[in-house]
Amino acid sequence: MRIGVMVCHAAREFPDVVFATDHMYACSDPGQGTIEQTIRSLKLDGVVVASCSPRMHEVTFRRAVERAGLNRYMFEMANIREHVAWISLDRKRNTEKATDLVRMAVEKLRHNRPLTAKSFEVQKRVLIIGAGVAGIQAALDCAEGGLDVILVERRQSIGGVMSKLDKTFPTVDCSVCVLGPKMVDVGQHPRITLLALSEVEELSGYVGNFEVKIRKKSAFVDWTKCTGCGACLEKCPSKKVRDSHNEGITTTTAITIPFPQAIPKRAAIDPAVCLHFTKGKCGVCKKVCPADAIDYDMQDEIVTEKVGAVIAATGLDLFDHRKCGEYGGGRYPDVITSLQYERMLSASGPTAGHIKRPSDGTEPKTVVFISCVGSRDRSVDRPYCSNFCCMYTAKQAILTRDHIPDSRAYVFYMDIRATGKGYEEFVRRAQEEYEVQYIRGRVAQIYPTTGEDGNQLMVRGADTLLGTQVEIKADLVVLAVGAESAHGAPALAEKLRISYDAYGFFLESHPKLRPVETNTVGVFLAGACQAPKDIPASVAQASAAAGKVLALLSKDKLESDPQIAQVQTMRCIGCGKCERTCPFGAIRMRELRDGSKRAEVVETVCQGCGICSVTCPVRAIQLAHFTDSQLLAEVNALCRTWDETTES
Amino acid sequence: MASNSSASDSPDRIKTLRAKIASELPNVDFVLGYGRGFDPLHATPVTVRTEKDLDRLIFDPTCVQNLATSLYGLRGKRLGVVVKGCDSRSIVQLLQERLWERENLVVFGLPCEGVIDLAKLRVTMDIASVKAVRFEGSVRDGKVVLTLPEGERELPSAGLLADKCLRCQHPNPLVSDHLIGPEIEPQGAQDTYADLAALEKLSTQERFDFWKRQMGRCIRCYACRNACPLCVCKHVCLADSREPHWLSAEATLQEKWLFQVMHALHLAGRCTECGECQRSCPMGIPILLLKRMMNRELKELFNYQAGVSLEAVPPLHTFLMEEDRIKDRGLLW
Repeated sequence: MRIGVMVCHAAREFPDVVFATDHMYACSDPGQGTIEQTIRSLKLDGVVVASCSPRMHEVTFRRAVERAGLNRYMFEMANIREHVAWISLDRKRNTEKATDLVRMAVEKLRHNRPLTAKSFEVQKRVLIIGAGVAGIQAALDCAEGGLDVILVERRQSIGGVMSKLDKTFPTVDCSVCVLGPKMVDVGQHPRITLLALSEVEELSGYVGNFEVKIRKKSAFVDWTKCTGCGACLEKCPSKKVRDSHNEGITTTTAITIPFPQAIPKRAAIDPAVCLHFTKGKCGVCKKVCPADAIDYDMQDEIVTEKVGAVIAATGLDLFDHRKCGEYGGGRYPDVITSLQYERMLSASGPTAGHIKRPSDGTEPKTVVFISCVGSRDRSVDRPYCSNFCCMYTAKQAILTRDHIPDSRAYVFYMDIRATGKGYEEFVRRAQEEYEVQYIRGRVAQIYPTTGEDGNQLMVRGADTLLGTQVEIKADLVVLAVGAESAHGAPALAEKLRISYDAYGFFLESHPKLRPVETNTVGVFLAGACQAPKDIPASVAQASAAAGKVLALLSKDKLESDPQIAQVQTMRCIGCGKCERTCPFGAIRMRELRDGSKRAEVVETVCQGCGICSVTCPVRAIQLAHFTDSQLLAEVNALCRTWDETTES
Repeated sequence: MASNSSASDSPDRIKTLRAKIASELPNVDFVLGYGRGFDPLHATPVTVRTEKDLDRLIFDPTCVQNLATSLYGLRGKRLGVVVKGCDSRSIVQLLQERLWERENLVVFGLPCEGVIDLAKLRVTMDIASVKAVRFEGSVRDGKVVLTLPEGERELPSAGLLADKCLRCQHPNPLVSDHLIGPEIEPQGAQDTYADLAALEKLSTQERFDFWKRQMGRCIRCYACRNACPLCVCKHVCLADSREPHWLSAEATLQEKWLFQVMHALHLAGRCTECGECQRSCPMGIPILLLKRMMNRELKELFNYQAGVSLEAVPPLHTFLMEEDRIKDRGLLW
């Protein structure tokens, strides 16, 4: 065997190595040209490049090797940048480690065999999980691009957080007026199948051929008959149900349509509160429904769909401020969250746009906003910045002054982060034009007090710019609660086999260069499920994810990765342990003519994780390109020194 | 030759065993039991195919072998097997891993007070000169009477008990179709892994030297592997494989040691500590220590003991999103 080693600017003699050189930038055009030329002129069988992480450039070099007529798997990469140069300054030991890594790569390459990819058909359909603004945008883009879209939303209506907002910053235009048309488009698009009140139960398969099981939760209303007339809502006798669309500042009925612009505009019964289900008595909605759509015996339904790609757009949930005792821990009715305030500001909200104190329904004259509640706060395990709270706080302060001209608005802030287009100007407007008082400092305590206008809240905090304590008698306190990953996001990530961080946000494949991909090929990210994002960023990422999906599924066939498990039937003893441990169900037992059983890998389902390989007691299952012999060759290369010194 | 009789080997019990086996003979291909070996201290496995063979059956504290070892190689047959409490754990493990079918197995279970470890006797005398053996009283507090050329010699039998018997918690078979003899109370001490603790008191270098010394003596005969009831792939063993090429034929310390480590790892969560590997080692290498080390880890990490429950799944043969005692994320659900 003839092996070439190229060290990207950074040798000793290794077996079979006939050529070694260094190059300033191996991944550059001339660098690749040199590799190709050398392969041809020296008739090399394989190439080792010692450079950076294979994450970025393995593909580049494999292509170069292939152009020179070799199989692309006759290439190995030793990572002497991230694993050596970047982690230590000790030149001598760095050189030793780099030499070890190159020696390992050479030994691995000596055991490499050419591998050939197979191709398979793809499903030109995409599953989008979550129908907030990101999911909606991604769905519309994919559908316009000619893909069939399955859009799954766990709530009764699409729209997500954006549908709850009154206005958007920095333009102060009506949120649902901007979103509404897009929601209608989703409802009417011939290529989009909308499954509201549904959740992903299980995802199996692989890029191009995923199979997804979706649980359509029972609405107890036949949505093919329901016209959304709302007659049932008026007559429903249980009227004390928490209204989650309005963040609990008002109540709703057990059978609901969450808001007037809801898509699909269909009624659904919450069996946890409906009298028919809890007491077994009522049946009013069934009597009044003109379409005879109510069906108390309706069951959850599991639908199975085949898709080629998945976009996760599950969005965010908000920090629960009851964890913060200094703000009352949820005990004071007039300390509310920003989203509750948003519902109050909304003209289509429960107060028809009038700001009212939850305790007595009066109009507040002094409103205090506290930013970074559950953001940048290690004491509640939320060290990250939630990205958009500075901006919506400025917006809400402006709207407060707009709605109640004789009111005063105070904002306690840590820093103002207004980095978007037009954002800084917007905050300036709040401060200068709307005379919102910005106080740099944290609030230490809120406690009830009695003022001239009745019960008030004393907000005690620090002004770090003046270096004094401040006390403000407020009628209403609005907490700018930060973003958290959506409830249940980690569980979904496990189903999708994608990574997530310590806070439940999904991990992108590369923070700079692959921001919408995940490490599971064919699963993409859009919106705040990846990190807290405002609307423009969510929409942009949704379109980016849609673009990635369209590019992926523009091909009729995809190449399968040949780095998968292979069973040596002769060695297999048919114990079936691999079948039971495989997390992808990629192994099945096949019966031989003598009745004995042997394992068999379903090539297209195997992800090449290697669990079966380590489970197999006989090592009858080998992972192609990572066989025991290849790995042992590497270990032996590394342990040569140990071996030589301890030989007995 | 031998004139064996003791409390654990009453004439009644062996009679019952023979009768039970006789009653099952029409239903099985043959029954594996114990017979007298080449001298009075050794028992040997015997196959009982007809009623004629029944007379060869014995059961006493010299019946050290784990007969479950032979089972996997006899797959496809319908067998009977005689087991002690400890041996039954191997059977449980084989059944649990679906390496044998329960319906093709008739288990004759013998509650056992303990067996003797010939290695412990060997240090006091030349065991080849023993002409006859007699066990008096129970194995735990009785005595063993040996007939030597110079006359009779008495030893307390407790001092000869195998180490595994000293910590035995399962004297009664955990699986059996015919339980022969009354069940007995576990008399073993709670396993504190004192042997491992003693080894771990040494410094890393001392321990390394210890194992270097021990493993250097290995002759790669693979008796340990062949004696293991759960080494079910001996016929395609990695030690003999060239693709994958885990071990070379070189007689180096590294190859010898690597084999023992592989053996231990393949038994992690499966080893029932029957001790056959160590007993069969002609060089007396304490290889059971490696397996006990894995078992202790398994106990701490997964609260799992191999071969005590038919329904359990060995923790390393399954895939759980989150383990109770391994809190790596703590976010899930």
